Amino acid sequence: MQLKRMAIGATLANATCGLLGALPAAPVAAQEVSDWEIDTSLLYYAEDNDRVRDASLMTSARRVFDEDRFFDLSLTVDSLTGATPSGAVPSSQAQTFTSPSGKDSYVIEPGATPLDGSFLDTRIALSGNWNQSLGDSMRWSAGLSASHEYDYLHIGVNGRIERDFNKRNTTVYLGAAYGQDDISPVGGTPIGLAPMLEVDNQSSKLRDDSKSVVDLLVGATQVLTRRSVIEVAYSYGLSDGYLNDPYKFLSVVDRGTGLPVAGPVGSGLNLYLYESRPDSRTKQSLFAEWRYALDRDSLALNYRIMNDDWDVTSQTIDARYHWNFTPNSYLEPHIRYYTQSAADFYRTVLFDDEALPAFASADYRLADLDAYTAGLKYGRRTAHGEFSVRLEYYHQAGDPSPDASVGDLANHDLLPPMSAVIAQFGYKFRF
Amino acid sequence: MGCPCELLCETDDAVLAERLAAFAHDEAQRIDQKFSRYRTDSVVHTIHSSHGAPVRVDSETQRLIDYGVSLWKISEGRFDLTSGVLRYAWNFDEGPLAAHPERIPELLQRIGWQRVGWEPPVLRLPDGMEIDFGGIGKEYAVDLVVDYVATQTDCPVLVNFGGDLRCAGKPPRSGAWHVGIESIAQAGAAAKLVELKSGALATSGDTRRCIEIDGKLYSHIFDARNGWPAPDAPRSITVAAATCSQAGSYSTLAMLQGAGAEAFLEAEGVQYWSLRSEGGD
Repeated sequence: MQLKRMAIGATLANATCGLLGALPAAPVAAQEVSDWEIDTSLLYYAEDNDRVRDASLMTSARRVFDEDRFFDLSLTVDSLTGATPSGAVPSSQAQTFTSPSGKDSYVIEPGATPLDGSFLDTRIALSGNWNQSLGDSMRWSAGLSASHEYDYLHIGVNGRIERDFNKRNTTVYLGAAYGQDDISPVGGTPIGLAPMLEVDNQSSKLRDDSKSVVDLLVGATQVLTRRSVIEVAYSYGLSDGYLNDPYKFLSVVDRGTGLPVAGPVGSGLNLYLYESRPDSRTKQSLFAEWRYALDRDSLALNYRIMNDDWDVTSQTIDARYHWNFTPNSYLEPHIRYYTQSAADFYRTVLFDDEALPAFASADYRLADLDAYTAGLKYGRRTAHGEFSVRLEYYHQAGDPSPDASVGDLANHDLLPPMSAVIAQFGYKFRF
Repeated sequence: MGCPCELLCETDDAVLAERLAAFAHDEAQRIDQKFSRYRTDSVVHTIHSSHGAPVRVDSETQRLIDYGVSLWKISEGRFDLTSGVLRYAWNFDEGPLAAHPERIPELLQRIGWQRVGWEPPVLRLPDGMEIDFGGIGKEYAVDLVVDYVATQTDCPVLVNFGGDLRCAGKPPRSGAWHVGIESIAQAGAAAKLVELKSGALATSGDTRRCIEIDGKLYSHIFDARNGWPAPDAPRSITVAAATCSQAGSYSTLAMLQGAGAEAFLEAEGVQYWSLRSEGGD
């Protein structure tokens, strides 16, 4: 190669200088967009009063094949410890419970909220999604997901198709997902409204169970102005099968004294009945988000309303402001408010003089409750990647229902408020 | 220019955007007309009509000729401003049967800067020879527009004339301009994506303008010494450089190295992306 004898750079630069009069001061800065984008984060979630703690490691990777095709892979490992309310109400007397395994028992001190302390789990979740263009204005994706806990196995498939209209100012999408969950609780799945029994007596429990979940989604994004976009989506979900929480139960109390009544003869326990939920749940939700780009910053506001045939209606308002205070760093304040009405079968307690309802649950997650989240995220882009730190505070408070402030129950906070902190460290990079 | 020309500008100032676009449009048209082979009012026509008599050229034409002469020297004659007559042997617009390699020996008699009298600003082009600025005019036009933009604003601007492009001002809000390098397998699809924060990208080798003879693909960049495209050249080479003229020259000279295109650019220490038929798109 004759030309290799001497680099031509200087000669060419001279010639160019002669052509254009001068050369630019800035050198060229170009780099090929890398094929892999990796997003990792470590999240720590801690509820107050030694309740649930979760350390979660999330890694997602995107492999870009070309502008039309990419594959997303994500892996999450959660380590949960701590205790969660069992559904039984506090009492001025000490209360003895049989642990879910049926192999031992534990005592809750007078006045304390009964928590199930055997809550300890590791969860692994894996998902993969293939995304591809279909001509100039359509895209589709399809994926598989699986997650595993010691008492739970989920397998799911999902698909989505979207199409642009109106010079890409409008995008309409359709999505569907199907999931199959196998549930094998420690000690078996309790029979709905069967009583808790003494250690080594598992006759209130059956073997494993399962449920299936179908979700359908239809939505659209619309560019409103040069700076704003709105997205509206409707989703429909149908869960079918075993929908109880196998570790939750209700206290049966005396209408006059408000104290727990005696359980089955020979059990030595008070009367606690395992919860019973309907075996299907149909949810509908409507979601709207408005995103606005300012000169330097951006704003996103969204609202979701959900209603299901358990009579739960929930609403969420969420706002984020992305403040690029330097070209390479940002702060993102975030607030969220959530409110829900109780499920029609939610009962803080059952009274001993009433007929047993068909369904009942004292799970606080089905109670009438309000929650808010307030947080701040800081992010910084560097030559190697982008890291972020997020701190959030969560607070929720619920109302017991029906009014259960009779006798001894009036002395206790039946649905104590709960607070949690969330700390997350994230790092995003390409290679 | 015979290609789509665009100017992208990230600004709220519509007046500025229109002024820049108007300048880019006018400048593209001016250069196109001035150096057109087909127009009777072009510099090229004046030179061709001289039939060997000396012609005094204006300073812009002089600078372009000087630049072309530099490339001729650097490439040891592979690049030549007078090689345009090879289009009579290689017609890419009419399909494979339009190639007439048998005409090449005769055409080579009409090629070669060594035959030209060039005492700036006086040019003496022997009768029957032609001069063609097609290989450098487009990149030059991009650089001119960018130089003008730099005097007007520091807003992010990208000037793109048919895939030869250069940016001006600050990087765009997204951090960089995302430029796709066209796939050789699928026109309009990007085989690679390049982030450009400053400087220029130019591509030689055209996915659509190539010709097949006896099962072999030839690019439309000819070696002026023998009238044939360099064998085994990449299908496309994109080079990054400070100016569009430099990027375009590197990519053209690399194509003229044929199989050695990549080695040539490696030795030059410039950033490049080459696409070859084998091993995907």
